[in-house]
Amino acid sequence: MTGVALNDISVAFDGVPALQNVSLSVDESEFFTLVGPSGCGKTTLLRTIAGFEEPEAGTVEIGENVAGVPPEDRNVGVVFQDYALFPHMTVRENVAYGLRYRRPPEGVDAEERAENLLDLVDMGDMSDRNPEELSGGQQQRIALARALAPRPNVLLLDEPLSALDARLRERLRVVIRDIQQELSITTIYVTHDQEEALAISDRVAVINDGQVEQVGLPERIYREPATRFVAEFVGDNNLLDGEVVSTDPPRVDVTTRSTNGGKRTGHGKSTGDGETVISVPQLPAGADRVTLSIRPEAITLGNGTAPVALSATVDAAEFMGDAYRVHCAWQGYSLLVRAAASEAPSGAITLGFDPTDVTVLENG
Amino acid sequence: MVRWAERAALPVAVAATLATMAVVFYYPVGTVLAEAVLVAGRPTAGPILDVLTDPFYTGVAHHLFANPLGVPGGILDWIASGFSAVSVGLFGFTAYQAGLSTVASVALGLPGAYVLARFEFRGLRTLRSLTILPFVLPSIMVAVGFVAMFGRTGLLNDFLGLFGVGPVNVLFTLPAIIIAHAFYNAPLVTRLVTTAWESVDRRQVESARAMGASPFQAFRDVVVPTLLPALLTAAVLTFIFTFMSFPIVLALGGLELATVEVWIYARVQSLDMTEAAALATIETALSLGLTYLYLRYEARQRSASGAGRSLPRTALVSGWKTLKDPLRLALLGYGLVVTLVFVGPLLSLLIESVTTPNGEFTTAYYEFLFAQQAATAVGTTRPLPAIVNSLVFGAGSLLLAVPMGIVVAVVATRGGRGSRVGEALLSAPLAVSGVIVGLGLLQTAVFGTVLFGYRFTAAGPLAIVFAHAAAAYPFVTRNVAPALGSLNSRFRDAARSLGASRLRALIEIELPLIAAAVIAGAAFAFAISIGEFDSTVLLAEGLDSYTMPVALERYIGNRSLGPNLGPATAMGTVLLFITGLSFVAIDRLGGRWEP
Repeated sequence: MTGVALNDISVAFDGVPALQNVSLSVDESEFFTLVGPSGCGKTTLLRTIAGFEEPEAGTVEIGENVAGVPPEDRNVGVVFQDYALFPHMTVRENVAYGLRYRRPPEGVDAEERAENLLDLVDMGDMSDRNPEELSGGQQQRIALARALAPRPNVLLLDEPLSALDARLRERLRVVIRDIQQELSITTIYVTHDQEEALAISDRVAVINDGQVEQVGLPERIYREPATRFVAEFVGDNNLLDGEVVSTDPPRVDVTTRSTNGGKRTGHGKSTGDGETVISVPQLPAGADRVTLSIRPEAITLGNGTAPVALSATVDAAEFMGDAYRVHCAWQGYSLLVRAAASEAPSGAITLGFDPTDVTVLENG
Repeated sequence: MVRWAERAALPVAVAATLATMAVVFYYPVGTVLAEAVLVAGRPTAGPILDVLTDPFYTGVAHHLFANPLGVPGGILDWIASGFSAVSVGLFGFTAYQAGLSTVASVALGLPGAYVLARFEFRGLRTLRSLTILPFVLPSIMVAVGFVAMFGRTGLLNDFLGLFGVGPVNVLFTLPAIIIAHAFYNAPLVTRLVTTAWESVDRRQVESARAMGASPFQAFRDVVVPTLLPALLTAAVLTFIFTFMSFPIVLALGGLELATVEVWIYARVQSLDMTEAAALATIETALSLGLTYLYLRYEARQRSASGAGRSLPRTALVSGWKTLKDPLRLALLGYGLVVTLVFVGPLLSLLIESVTTPNGEFTTAYYEFLFAQQAATAVGTTRPLPAIVNSLVFGAGSLLLAVPMGIVVAVVATRGGRGSRVGEALLSAPLAVSGVIVGLGLLQTAVFGTVLFGYRFTAAGPLAIVFAHAAAAYPFVTRNVAPALGSLNSRFRDAARSLGASRLRALIEIELPLIAAAVIAGAAFAFAISIGEFDSTVLLAEGLDSYTMPVALERYIGNRSLGPNLGPATAMGTVLLFITGLSFVAIDRLGGRWEP
């Protein structure tokens, strides 16, 4: 087993940059996820690791520098979004294909190895079928078995679940995680689904616009987003624009948004209700304008005794089963609150939160 | 070591394909063209100027090259003389007949596209696939079919004779050549325009109508802009093909109605190589220019995504009412013309091969073939060797053309600069006539090429295989490249990530998945080889390596059974049978034929 290191990778297509100076390091046996919106470059990054794209600059290390090593000699297993099972071969032949080029372990023939892998993904009785006869979920399992059969050093999965329906997706991601743990294989997983990324990964890298925004444990990514993009992309969130009014103690004046979408600073004290100054745990050094991020679940409804209390009105409440997602209007912002109430809140309400739950982000 | 070799295999294959193209196409053709501009190793414009300034070749345009300054005065004199008749010369006549042939092909082909794209009837699919057939039919055989149909003792005059009319003489007139050209190219027009017509999204027409356009306005604003590029592409292609047409003109027109191509052949036969080369150079320059035009149009045409539903079809036949509807009556008339032009010659070929000039049944012509086979005289053209040669050359061409075609397809679908080079490589044989390729191979391969002090020669049969492969491989590429291009590239990626080299992925995964396209391309290549006449007739001269089309041409002149086409029609029937089999193979595998 080996880890993967990406050093300063840049990739461009016809002069248009797809990835810029990406550096990442994936540990041995780690389940590492690249998450980001479509077109952010995460699939390109995966294809660069697999050897399908050559970086313009930077190096890929899979145990050693693999510059110029073609995909067939990198010993990586790849599961594609559309599975790419060979339609002219049976399930068994598909799984055994890689064993033509990479020998199975001592004392095991290709056939046996293929059957073992099919058993591992619970598809043992499908080996004589044609891939096209199988459901999407079954094809996905077989694609996983095929990628694992030649015992790759690294497993790469490119949106393996995105073609499946929500329930199946949740079930199969557990299967993938279990198999990864059982084989303790270094795995790089690409998805646009931030929830999926948080659920199954050891560590997550958030990619945006060809660059890495943040790398870290799922909990850290969620609770301490490093950039405005991460705060917005991962999970539901409320972002408030603010201006630093003092650094000791750290205090931020929240900028009021005019209803026509423009911004007005809170300096207009003469207008009366415009000013909301919040004491925050800490400020980024030298920052002047900042963004405050507060998770919906950190805000409580109707709590006038909270350290910060805002007077807002309810715009809409969506029933989620275990709670309501309440959209509130406050100072030109639309704030999202998660409320475990027994009936839908409405009208004028107070929103309360603790400033220690606020993450302050540098504007940039 | 093995992996190293596999990795090198594709670049080596590309290099080998380029080298083969150089040997079988570029060098021979270049040699012919060089002869026109090099005399005793020194560059000269002499031979080309000789042709350009000869009124026989360029007609009134020779003044342009002989005395450019006198042109304005000449035009004034011409106007003063009351627009007297102008001679257009050989090039003018060639362009004139190509223009007429193009008009005739469009006129004959366009209603067909209308019928195939907008109507529903039994046999629609069969009729559609039959539009491929003319393309694989050997042109010399079609020419014989036309003679059998329109000749003095042909089917048409036999038929007219029943009513005491005739005989009419169509042969050795321009209309015969033009109809025969329409036989070949009208299906091209039909097919290209039908495809475009079917790609019109009905929602676009419906949107136009919803916004207030009348049916005619919707047709003019939505449908016509889609059809026009396809029609222009087909017209330019038809012009190129008929400008360079050889066997049809040779058999149906002779030297009185000679085109440039036929004249080149005649110059070669009288061993006037320099003049032939000068003619070939001018002709190639003209056709390269036209091919460039064609490629421009073709590129503009590739847009239809296939999304959306095509226009609704109406039933072609609706009981007795069919005969009251003027549109359907007109289409019925069109159907009769189509039957006459397309079925007539082939049927005549079959009938004439078993009928005497007096209209009685006979097996004499087939007996003649057997007798020829048994004859011991030197120089006898025997049918069996012709058949065997055709099949052997066909197989040999496949061995060269299929790998070459696949390699070019792989390069062409990879995108980037390489694919444009591939496209150019692909198109060059289209723009160079078979006679010029044959002439070039005769001079380089058969007569030999001196290299490093050694003289390399290729025997006639090998040169013929070379020529056939050069003509046939673009058809392999045209079938394989689109299939390869639309194949999900993840299959290749998956194979490679599992350890297969690029070559292995191609052989084990990609080619099996597009096997139908490969086989259809191979069947096309085979049919092209079987029917090839232009270069074979030059290369097989005085050799025993004649093929079926060449034998057929020799039998046309064989008068041992009296002045009739009998032996040729018998040989033509054999040829029709064999090419018919290729057609079935192509059709079953869904071949493409748009060049």
